[in-house]
Amino acid sequence: MSNVGTSVPRTDGPSKVVGTAKYVDDLSMPGMLHGATLRSPVARGILKRIVKDPAFDWTGITFVDATDVPVNVVALIQDDQPVLASHEIRHRYEPLALIACDDALRLARAARHVTFEIEPLPAIFDPRASFERREIVAPPDNVFGRYRITKGDAEAALASCEVVVSGTYSVHHQEQLYIEPQGVIAWFDERGAHVHGSIQCPYYVQKGVKKTFVLTESDVDVVQTVTGGGFGGKEEYPTVISLHALLLAKKSRRPVKMIYDRQEDIEATTKRHPAEIGIVTGCDRDGTLRAISIHVLMDGGAYVTLTPVVLSRGILHAAGAYRWEHVLAEAVAVATNTPPNGAFRGFGAPQTIWAVERHLDKVARQLGMDPLVLKSNNVLRVGDTTATSQTLKESVGIGECIEKARTASDWDRKRALGPVVQGRKARGIGACVFMHGAGFTGSGERRLKGRVALDLLLGGRVRIRTASTDIGQGTETVFSQIAADALGLPMSQVEFLQPSTARVPDSGPTVASRTVMVVGSIVEAAARELKERIDAEQAATGLDRRRAMDALVFRAMGTAEHVYDTPRDLEWDDATYRGDAYPVYGWGCDIAEVEVDLDTFETKVLGFWAAADVGKAIHPTHCKGQIEGGTLQAIGWALHEQIVWKDGAILNGRMTNYIVPTSLDAPPFTTLLVEAPYSRGPGGGAKGIGELPMDGGAPAIAAAIEHATGISMDNLPCLPEDLFERARKGRAA
Amino acid sequence: MSLPELSLHGLERPDSLGSVCERLAERAARGEKTVLLAGGTDWFVERHVAPATDGSEAELVLDVSRLPELRGISASGDTLWIGAATTYLELRRHPVVAARVPLLPAMSKDVGAVQIQARGTLGGNLATASPAADGVGALAALDATVHLLSVRGPRSIAISDYFTGYKRSVRAADEVITGFTVQMPGEGSFQYWRKVGTRLAQAISKVALAGVAEVSDGQVTRLGLGMVSVAPTTAFLPTVRALALRRPLDRIADSALDAATQADVSPIDDVRSTGDYRRHVSGALVREFFRTLRSR
Ligand SMILES: Cc1cc2nc3c(=O)[nH]c(=O)nc-3n(C[C@H](O)[C@H](O)[C@H](O)COP(=O)(O)OP(=O)(O)OC[C@H]3O[C@@H](n4cnc5c(N)ncnc54)[C@H](O)[C@@H]3O)c2cc1C
Repeated sequence: MSNVGTSVPRTDGPSKVVGTAKYVDDLSMPGMLHGATLRSPVARGILKRIVKDPAFDWTGITFVDATDVPVNVVALIQDDQPVLASHEIRHRYEPLALIACDDALRLARAARHVTFEIEPLPAIFDPRASFERREIVAPPDNVFGRYRITKGDAEAALASCEVVVSGTYSVHHQEQLYIEPQGVIAWFDERGAHVHGSIQCPYYVQKGVKKTFVLTESDVDVVQTVTGGGFGGKEEYPTVISLHALLLAKKSRRPVKMIYDRQEDIEATTKRHPAEIGIVTGCDRDGTLRAISIHVLMDGGAYVTLTPVVLSRGILHAAGAYRWEHVLAEAVAVATNTPPNGAFRGFGAPQTIWAVERHLDKVARQLGMDPLVLKSNNVLRVGDTTATSQTLKESVGIGECIEKARTASDWDRKRALGPVVQGRKARGIGACVFMHGAGFTGSGERRLKGRVALDLLLGGRVRIRTASTDIGQGTETVFSQIAADALGLPMSQVEFLQPSTARVPDSGPTVASRTVMVVGSIVEAAARELKERIDAEQAATGLDRRRAMDALVFRAMGTAEHVYDTPRDLEWDDATYRGDAYPVYGWGCDIAEVEVDLDTFETKVLGFWAAADVGKAIHPTHCKGQIEGGTLQAIGWALHEQIVWKDGAILNGRMTNYIVPTSLDAPPFTTLLVEAPYSRGPGGGAKGIGELPMDGGAPAIAAAIEHATGISMDNLPCLPEDLFERARKGRAA
Repeated sequence: MSLPELSLHGLERPDSLGSVCERLAERAARGEKTVLLAGGTDWFVERHVAPATDGSEAELVLDVSRLPELRGISASGDTLWIGAATTYLELRRHPVVAARVPLLPAMSKDVGAVQIQARGTLGGNLATASPAADGVGALAALDATVHLLSVRGPRSIAISDYFTGYKRSVRAADEVITGFTVQMPGEGSFQYWRKVGTRLAQAISKVALAGVAEVSDGQVTRLGLGMVSVAPTTAFLPTVRALALRRPLDRIADSALDAATQADVSPIDDVRSTGDYRRHVSGALVREFFRTLRSR
């Protein structure tokens, strides 16, 4: 019996299709109030006074401000972000006060009767200005993080390279736009604090609640309700809304529900970090890459949140999927007065991969080479060392990815043909080669020690307990497949417990493309242990399988709890940023064919070929779904999406004007799965797939636009207006 | 608009057009606000952005979507009648419209997506008087006549006389739009629709052009143009029309068309696009219209 490798029906499918799945807004509690957040109307300032209109009838309305917060920090990496601002305001939409009421209409009305007296301060929106400290908006020096990677001597090598190319590239904000906005219900009872909500990482929320309310682990239960997408947007942010709901619940002594509407969600929650990346490379005239020097400046927004980690992942991917003898990479993230930027699928890597891929297209142009040939000649292979001097030992399927994508897309012919212009339309084709580290960076997994438990239940059933959430990506199904096969049971006998910090061990956050590869392997190990116990029980007693399982339950031997067996041979030095940055990498080659309208500069993606090395596709349909969905998100980032800012406020915070692609805008996808197994991956070698597909889309599209039109975009996005401006400047020059 | 806010609005469903007019007249005389509900696809969005907070601010909703007098499409000779409460989906499915005025189904297919097409109406599109209204662009190209009714009686006006400014029109507070009449273009006429939106569906126009032309002996004998999102109201492109009408097609130069188009549009920067881009695309669409017309 083999479930792994088969696209079994998803276990959470039926309830979602028929509508019985309960999302947080479908839930209600007796005596529940609705909560709302009152936010800063300015990007930076000093909060002087909160004024509640005395003419308004405040009975039945709970009001909370910073004075009600026991410990006023949102616990994450640094304790710089207040739960509610008490004095200094660092961004527009920053939470200043909270209100709750049992009547949603009165709540909305009450919100209009609170005003804030604020002394405005000059704000900074340009990371460069922040870096130059034109204003100190985050003491002491506006800097949220710095990293440096060195290998060989890049500066010296560049000075002696035959061909030296330099360029500056930039990327913009992106909104996660999960279909279900942020929301929680929270209350206190004799057992402590409870939060139920749309949450990616229940243990992160628990950590925040413990800190703010000075509670211990056993006082706080955080439960994930059915979640409609996250893409990183529900990694750190749910802590904020959970703390808000709990503050209102504490003061009102009632359960409080807080659900953001779309506009509030777009305006107030985290986005992808914008970045500016300068690159200088040196290579031989035959295209052999030698040296690269990279400088990354990332815009963290108003508070630290996860910025240092995003910056780290960004810099670790900045040299791309290539062999370089000499690398110098320096990265800095700074504060600006926009809402904090945070986790978003790819986590810094799409930003730097955009830059290095656009850069290599430029190098190829300068050398007169086919860019895919240049990339393929220099791509990392087993035995090569990465920018952090990690020697790749196994599972490098990039060669096969490139070959498959190249053949399937008919690259050689189409590329050689040059742009095909018919009437007012021009066609072109472009490629991107990339890798993405799977699992936590460096020593992350060792520090975390993710744990999973499997329980035998009476009647021959098995239950998986992990904190890894299914937010639509299929965790529940894939874990069930892995457990069922390791146990030798049908999937129908495996169930998945709704993640709740009171009932599941901490398997770590649902992030970093680690769920299947890392947590899946813990599930597999725990399942194997249970199987051994069952086999032994059967051998000793001669009972049939089902009775042997029950016997183990009766003797309290039915639970196997496992801790992640961190690969021991990984070496990583946080101080020098050298060593095994990731246990293994996912690899990809994306090829896009586009047609650009030479009058309107609209880009239509005619075809998209995505080849991805996933190690082992536990569930091929889910894998393809991740690849298509992630790629479409990347295409949206390149061709449609753009936050329109004015003085730190977002002008297009609605789905009608924050433009993501619709199904009509989606190209026909050809998804090509490559399986170069990872020796420690579950199910026969699975690696992470969650983030990889976000990396290649934008550079491939831009390369295709360039092939079609000659317009070379170094900056995202590539909206028709941007192409038009570039073309106009090109003509003027 | 949230559901609790919706409950602030009274809702009535008058059973005849006459009683709609009477209710409107009474309320207008007392200075009370009333909204006619056709598809609701504009009104709900408007109230979402600016919700009523208490009953006294909330306008009364009169549902006109089922009034037979406002529904239906009929042809008599070369004249086509389109009731104000006709939906985009109805326009897409009507055989006479498809055969004689393919511009309308082409435009309708580009409105929102099928859900909006099933509810949104041509009357609602005009009543909002937004320059981004795609349906109005098509009506402008067809030089439609707008029919209004109130207790004071009916009146009919050319669509080019309808607008008085951004989201403003000659329609009085007590008037209902009952429908439109259109002189159907002749056999072999050229009809053009191109929408440049923010994406392929669920998109508001950055620029769109509707065009109707009849040519005989190489000379343009009928010309109607309506351009969307390039001016405070739907643009009728009078300079372009004047340049080309009753002119031999092959004597209309692109440079002259460009100059005329630029004289007729005054687009702005907004969250969807830039004024510069819109100017550029306006010119390109007009050129494409004439290029295609010439090559037929
Ligand atoms: C998701 C979405 C996508 C959309 N996409 C497009 C698009 O692509 N192109 C486009 O042009 N529009 C689009 N719209 C806007 C809208 O759908 C259209 O303008 C539609 O035609 C409005 O018609 P309605 O019947 O829904 O108007 P309603 O909302 O019912 O009414 C709008 C206004 O018109 C008044 N009104 C309605 N009927 C009459 C009448 N007979 N007499 C007098 N006044 C009347 C109402 O009182 C109200 O003030 C979109 C809207 C949404 C929500």
